[in-house]
Amino acid sequence: MLPLGILPFMLILPLIASVIAYAVRGRAARILTLTVTVTELLLSFVLAMAINPAIISGDPNAGMKYLWNFVMGQIVSGGGSTELQIALGVDGISVAMIVLSNFVVMIATISSNHIHKSEGLYYALMLLLQVGLIGVFMSLDLIGFFIFWELVLIPMFFIIGRWGEEGCQHAAIKFFIYTHLGSAVMLVAFFVLYFVAVPHTFDMIALRSMGLPPMVQLGFALAVFMGAGVKLPVWPLHNWLPWAHVKAPTPGSVILAGILLKMGGYGFIRLGVWMVPDAFARLSIPLAVLAVFTCIYAAFTAMAQTDLKSMVAYTSINHMAWVLLGVAIGTATALQGAVYMMVSHGVIISVMFIVAGQLKYSAGSREIPQVKGLMVQAPRLASVFIFASFATFGLPGLSGFIAEALILFGSVKVYVWTALITLGVFLTVGYILWTLNRIVFSDANPEKPVTEAPWSDLIAPLITLIPVVILGVWPDLLLGLVSPVVSFIVGGVP
Amino acid sequence: MFQLFTPIVDLIRAILSPITQQLLQFIPSDWLGSMPALTLVGFAVIALVVGIRWNPLPVSFIGVLVVTIEMIVLDPVSSFGGLFVRDAFSDFFIYIILIVGFLVLMSSTLHSGDQGPYNFLLLMSFAGAILVVTATDLIALFLAWELMSTPTYVLTALSPNRGAVDGATKYFVMGLMATTLMIFGIALVYGVTGQTSLSVLSSTVATIWSSGPGLSPAAYTLMLAMILFVISFGFKVGIFPGWMWVPDTYSTADGSVTSYLAGATKKAGVSALVRILMVAFIVARLSWAPLIVGVSILTMVIGNVLALAQRKIMRMLAYSSIAMMGYLMIGLAAGTELGVAAAFFQAFVHALMKTGAFILVWTISVRLARDVTYDDLAGLSQRAPLASAMFAVLMLALAGMPLTAGFWSKLILFQSAVEVGMWWLALIGLLNSVFSLGYYLRVLKYCYMIEPKDGSPLKLASVPVMAVVLCVVGVIAFFVFPGAILDYAIGAAAGIVVP
Repeated sequence: MLPLGILPFMLILPLIASVIAYAVRGRAARILTLTVTVTELLLSFVLAMAINPAIISGDPNAGMKYLWNFVMGQIVSGGGSTELQIALGVDGISVAMIVLSNFVVMIATISSNHIHKSEGLYYALMLLLQVGLIGVFMSLDLIGFFIFWELVLIPMFFIIGRWGEEGCQHAAIKFFIYTHLGSAVMLVAFFVLYFVAVPHTFDMIALRSMGLPPMVQLGFALAVFMGAGVKLPVWPLHNWLPWAHVKAPTPGSVILAGILLKMGGYGFIRLGVWMVPDAFARLSIPLAVLAVFTCIYAAFTAMAQTDLKSMVAYTSINHMAWVLLGVAIGTATALQGAVYMMVSHGVIISVMFIVAGQLKYSAGSREIPQVKGLMVQAPRLASVFIFASFATFGLPGLSGFIAEALILFGSVKVYVWTALITLGVFLTVGYILWTLNRIVFSDANPEKPVTEAPWSDLIAPLITLIPVVILGVWPDLLLGLVSPVVSFIVGGVP
Repeated sequence: MFQLFTPIVDLIRAILSPITQQLLQFIPSDWLGSMPALTLVGFAVIALVVGIRWNPLPVSFIGVLVVTIEMIVLDPVSSFGGLFVRDAFSDFFIYIILIVGFLVLMSSTLHSGDQGPYNFLLLMSFAGAILVVTATDLIALFLAWELMSTPTYVLTALSPNRGAVDGATKYFVMGLMATTLMIFGIALVYGVTGQTSLSVLSSTVATIWSSGPGLSPAAYTLMLAMILFVISFGFKVGIFPGWMWVPDTYSTADGSVTSYLAGATKKAGVSALVRILMVAFIVARLSWAPLIVGVSILTMVIGNVLALAQRKIMRMLAYSSIAMMGYLMIGLAAGTELGVAAAFFQAFVHALMKTGAFILVWTISVRLARDVTYDDLAGLSQRAPLASAMFAVLMLALAGMPLTAGFWSKLILFQSAVEVGMWWLALIGLLNSVFSLGYYLRVLKYCYMIEPKDGSPLKLASVPVMAVVLCVVGVIAFFVFPGAILDYAIGAAAGIVVP
């Protein structure tokens, strides 16, 4: 239907558009980027509708559809040959993540209307970022996976550092080095896995069905924890996140929180429970403990923040801990919940970051104590903010609730003490209501008036709220894609 | 194995074969393998004579092009009684030298390219470098080494930079010491074995090493010679014991000469090391592997730590190229076919990256008429968007990020280390690579994230910028098709590494 097949077409389209956007500059670059991201989103909807997520047992491709590969080079030595290649393929979880990333990139592009410095370069980087992001979710070869995984860093580095706020350069470099360090450890593990495998291969499907020695699996799982744990982030590795999120421009924060963190979660699922399930079963308790701790710790830290953006950044650490909990538990319900949490958090947190960025324009500050009387002075912005806040702490009927409920139902059945994570929910509700109380429902301060956000700035958050509601009332829309893959993972190696 | 350029080579050979047949009648068959080097010597003399009256740079360009065509049409054979041999391995490095040579000549249009002596010295040094990579005998290697090195001592001193003579003196004195150690090493080898030919030597070494678990005095002497060779050839490469001249000389020399030193003579040193370690002393691999591992780690750490402390871009790049050679030594330490192929691939990619980077900095430096510091790069993306973008690509390539060939070269090097069980060495290399982001990203930060003090456009000379464009295009193209070079690198490695 499409030249090369749908997956490579989805990768190449933004890549080419990126070069064109750099060349045309200015307003044309924005229009081009909007067109391309909307096209990508439609393509991913087509993909989601076309794919049959069911996996027949004994499928040699482990349920991966639309396979395509591009051999870049060959290493011929010692009688065998290894392909250095980009191999693409998707299953239900990948498709869900691809839809999410295309959606969030589109939202980020729409909300880039305040970027006026070097627009050509900005939109070129945005499109390059999209290539990296969807590439990660499509890759079926460790080398190709690593290429996309690292590719994401380059445009993100520039977006944070060039268009960010005061002090953003430092944040950009910290972000780059931190995440690169995690990836470096992961790369060594890739090589070890490659040489342990007989015959030597980087092919993830082959490695999965190979039945690797337990100790190798365990080492690999720890390395994945380093690589994906930095991105997710988990408690001792989270240090870069508040910096990068706060200093980045609003669209940068949206993509960071909306998708980059999900790369970590996806890394845990694809490289972890999908590829080395035995090792993750052994690591279950330590990971679950870490997840519960991270959740509560992040909730307390978020409560202490005065900058709204910083608070939202810690909220995302708090929520991504749920994903780790789901992965650590590894039962069908919990894993479904983990994927659900990634998608739902990806859209909700985008709204939160856009609102936080908008406050800077409307009220001149994001400091929570400084902004007062939002409901009186800016009812539209306040309504969006209230809605997004409710979604964040998981109000029933919105998508966050279903995710948390699934993970909790899954985990309490296995380890009853993981119910402690509800303390995190309790705290989250507390600090979010407290924030709403201070910003939205307070009396207006006549010395610091707040202007209403124009409709042009509210398009992006309003569009983003649509899936929050839909996923909140119709979970099967997403679970239909995810559950066959999850039961395949839980079913073990066929 | 499919090698991408084979059809093109065959085509050129077929087209030119009538002329080749005619010309071959005039060339003694014993010279045939060394014709590229000899031709360059001839063109060097012509350039010197032409330079009395006219601009000799076109002569040099023609010389390099003619030699490239010779490389393609002439059969790879041995010459001068087997002292110099053209095989897959030496051809790989000769092409690196010719590519770098061409780029260096392009960059020479900036400064001193219109002088006869400059062109003469440069072409003589190219010839020497080509002879170094083809030499298969210690004495021939020594002679070629001197032919390559001596002109560069003068070239570094010819720079417009005020500190040039200091840098050149340091280079010269340390170079002489390296030469002395090399002669001492050759003398030791000759004294023990009575041989200077590397291939004969390898069987002698095999006999000595096979004489039982306790090593004989002869073996100890040979090991001493081996250490001396690593020091003296490593001097040019800029690895651990002999790295100290690199930053001073690189930063004060004419930028074109610097890019030649970094792009080509370094690689000639690498090839000499590979010949000695992998051909002559391959049997003693277990004895020298720890030595090379140590050298590799120290070189990486020194290069990276000191590069972080620099303010001048040239010095930073000099230290970073020390670090890059540390990564390259990982491949030699692995000592397998894959490791050597990875080292070769790294040599090629490094030649592209560093030649481009040095030429670019030199072009900016000539335009500003001062040493380029980080502050001079502030806002380069607005003052010179193309130069800035190319700088960014080259820095990311040096850091080993995807979309650049630098990614593959590091990847395969680390892979080769893991293959022989040295995953810790790969991890050290990777941590160094992460550390190196500290200074590569600083360049990007200044280029893209800091507003310029003076926002006026910076117009750079077009010919050197073209040279950098070629490098950048190569760096990106060989990310998409690493196989184009990797196949040759593997072929070259397979030719010398006996499994």
